[in-house]
Amino acid sequence: MAATLAVPSRSGAIERARERGLAVVAALPYHYPRALLRAHRCHTVEVWAPAVAVDSGARHFQAYTCGLITRGTAFLLDGGLDSVDAVLVPHGCDALQGMGSVLTDFVADRPPVLTFYPPRGRRDVDRAYLVAELRALADRLADVTGHRPDADDWQEALALEEAADAALADLYAHRTELALTDREFYTLVRAREYLLAEDMVEATTVVPRGPARQRGVGLVLSGILAEPLELFDRIDEAGAHVAADDLSTGTRRLLPPAATAAPADPYERLADRLMSGPPDPTRTDPVTARAAHLIGLLQRSGAAGVLAYDPTFCEPELFYLPLLREHLAAAGYPLLHVEVEPGTPLPTQTVTRIEAFVETLS
Amino acid sequence: MSPGAAPTPLAQARYHLGYQVAGRATLRVQRLRDERRLAARRPRPGDALLPTLASMARMKELMTGHYLRGRYVPGVRPVAWVTSGAPVEVLTALGFFLVYPENHAALCGARKQGAAYCVQAEDRGYSRDLCSYARTDIGAVLSGRTPVGSLPPPDLLVCCTNICQTVKWWYEVLADHFGCPLVTVDTPFLYGQAQPHQVDYVRRQIEEDLTPTAERASGRHLHPRRLREVVVQAHEASQLWLDILDRSQHRPAPMTAFDGFLLIGPIVNLRGHPETTRFYRHLLAELDARIAAGTGAVADERYRVLWDNLPVWYRLSGLSRQLAGLGVNVVASTYTYAWGELASMIDPDDPWGSVARTYLHPILNRSTGHKLDAMRGMVERFGLDGAILHSDRSCKPYSLGQIDQRDRLVGDLGVPTLLLEADHNDQRVWAEAQNTGRIEAFVEMMAAGR
Repeated sequence: MAATLAVPSRSGAIERARERGLAVVAALPYHYPRALLRAHRCHTVEVWAPAVAVDSGARHFQAYTCGLITRGTAFLLDGGLDSVDAVLVPHGCDALQGMGSVLTDFVADRPPVLTFYPPRGRRDVDRAYLVAELRALADRLADVTGHRPDADDWQEALALEEAADAALADLYAHRTELALTDREFYTLVRAREYLLAEDMVEATTVVPRGPARQRGVGLVLSGILAEPLELFDRIDEAGAHVAADDLSTGTRRLLPPAATAAPADPYERLADRLMSGPPDPTRTDPVTARAAHLIGLLQRSGAAGVLAYDPTFCEPELFYLPLLREHLAAAGYPLLHVEVEPGTPLPTQTVTRIEAFVETLS
Repeated sequence: MSPGAAPTPLAQARYHLGYQVAGRATLRVQRLRDERRLAARRPRPGDALLPTLASMARMKELMTGHYLRGRYVPGVRPVAWVTSGAPVEVLTALGFFLVYPENHAALCGARKQGAAYCVQAEDRGYSRDLCSYARTDIGAVLSGRTPVGSLPPPDLLVCCTNICQTVKWWYEVLADHFGCPLVTVDTPFLYGQAQPHQVDYVRRQIEEDLTPTAERASGRHLHPRRLREVVVQAHEASQLWLDILDRSQHRPAPMTAFDGFLLIGPIVNLRGHPETTRFYRHLLAELDARIAAGTGAVADERYRVLWDNLPVWYRLSGLSRQLAGLGVNVVASTYTYAWGELASMIDPDDPWGSVARTYLHPILNRSTGHKLDAMRGMVERFGLDGAILHSDRSCKPYSLGQIDQRDRLVGDLGVPTLLLEADHNDQRVWAEAQNTGRIEAFVEMMAAGR
């Protein structure tokens, strides 16, 4: 099924950012403060396992390394670095840690590599650290861009990024009223990874309204990265649709709006929002919190089961699965786990397993 | 035991008779026998490795005693399961009995039982791509089996991310299984120098979360004087361990890194205890005696080599013998240094601050460039001829970066370097013929470079 929704291209978004005088920062997955970068006159374009030859990445990382790392590295080394002003590597797992460290220590003639370590907890002490870590990142960004944001910069950046987040949340809230296939819907959702915030808002306003172009049994799609997009076509052909998601490229980064009494200090405001996302394996949330979240998604969306769709070698996902399966089974929901190599075509065997899973649900 | 509960008389009696009287006496007799046996050993013609260090008998007494004590400790002492990089000084000062799942997993691995426990976890859905320490431990927990008889269930779990992020997910699994509190001490990865807000973060977690939670779980209050005593012991033992490892700068080296992988047990498991400090004093004296006598651990030490990453536990003796037979002594390792190189950071006069700084700085929490610098320093100090980088598919944070580190060691220093593909605990990954051939080729490269 061909996608029909027109979404601005990645290269077009980079051109638009340049025209507006913004530096372009390549960001690795996936929790980082967009508004902080925007306030420093930076635009982030995310790098998630592009479908490129992996050789340049494999020259730095062993075969048992997650494809997001090897392909992301290959993409950057094979020309990606030439078109950006900096690289941001948030610390989401040991593999991203290795990538950030190798880029920093062993790759010469490159733009600055910025690293960011979000805390693995949601305690007061974690929040206080996060505020300080955001300030440290701001200092490094100011060194890169030569710009220290004033109050107006902050106000504009926060307004733009929060509006884009709100627009995305609105899309999810009205999914069943959007005349889109799942493939089109997630193409639009993922445009947030590279569009300017204001362009993202614009893109959401031209979505055709009408009954969702979905059919069959509902699934909750969980995992890091739902690629290739052909996955959605195969799910549709199997007689199912994505009723809700728990994806790193989806709702895991859908942050609730800032509270009406949000702190005036931009760093505190950013920290509050970053700390408020849903349960997430890369945040190392407890198993019970993740299970409750998934069961809530299933109940609210009417989905019949969970498709856990993961990249190979993904420890954050793999550790949770056995216990999630138990918790979900106790609540009457089955879970199918499949692993795929990011940046490669969808294996037939994976499609067959998904078809069989949908059959059992139907 | 439930928080703050007093030890039950029955549990105390079992503990006293089973461990303190019968157990310790038996272990002491065994140790004396082992020491006599080891002292009587003389090198035989053709032996590549010299007789085992007599201190191994004391180490065995200490470690076996630790696990034996664990069998009797439920109901007597609060129990915490901790990661190997956790700030245990607070827990030791509060009287916790500590279980190190990584050490227990290594013990299973060294007995070639790692894969069997891994299979137990895999049968319950845990992927073979997960860390084999975690799979071994989870397999042991789920099956209720262990080669040490039994492990006391935890009253508290303490997880510190300074060795990897893996431990956090692993301990979330344990927390779900045991239903006990889990405290995380999150240590931001150091891509460069530690920043004040990172040190402050670690310190605050120890003070504001770990300590009060541990106090509640133990029903005791942490006394600064007791904490200082423990920190003094930890500092001295860590410094002794560093001195012990540095003794291998002598030619011939009095011990191998493979000895170190075994002798590390007390500094990991019993850090902060006086018996650990005494043990390492004894070991240092034995090494000095070997040095004075000109005795090396390898009979014909022609090549001195670095080991990077965790040991291959199930091949420890086999690799040691194979390498010694080729005239190779693995005299240094980044892994064993991890428990000694931070000794100077531990300051008994500033226990909170120094503990925070120390636990932020393990080599595994520092950049790939820092590890390369550490290896370069070892090449110089130990006069190394080559390096073996164990590419450990179960330990991503230690292994990622090794390809560039190898290229630099070879390109910048001209040090022959072998990237040895294996897994620290899952023997199913080991490719015997391939690795034997690669090790032989590596030694030939060192020979050709002379």
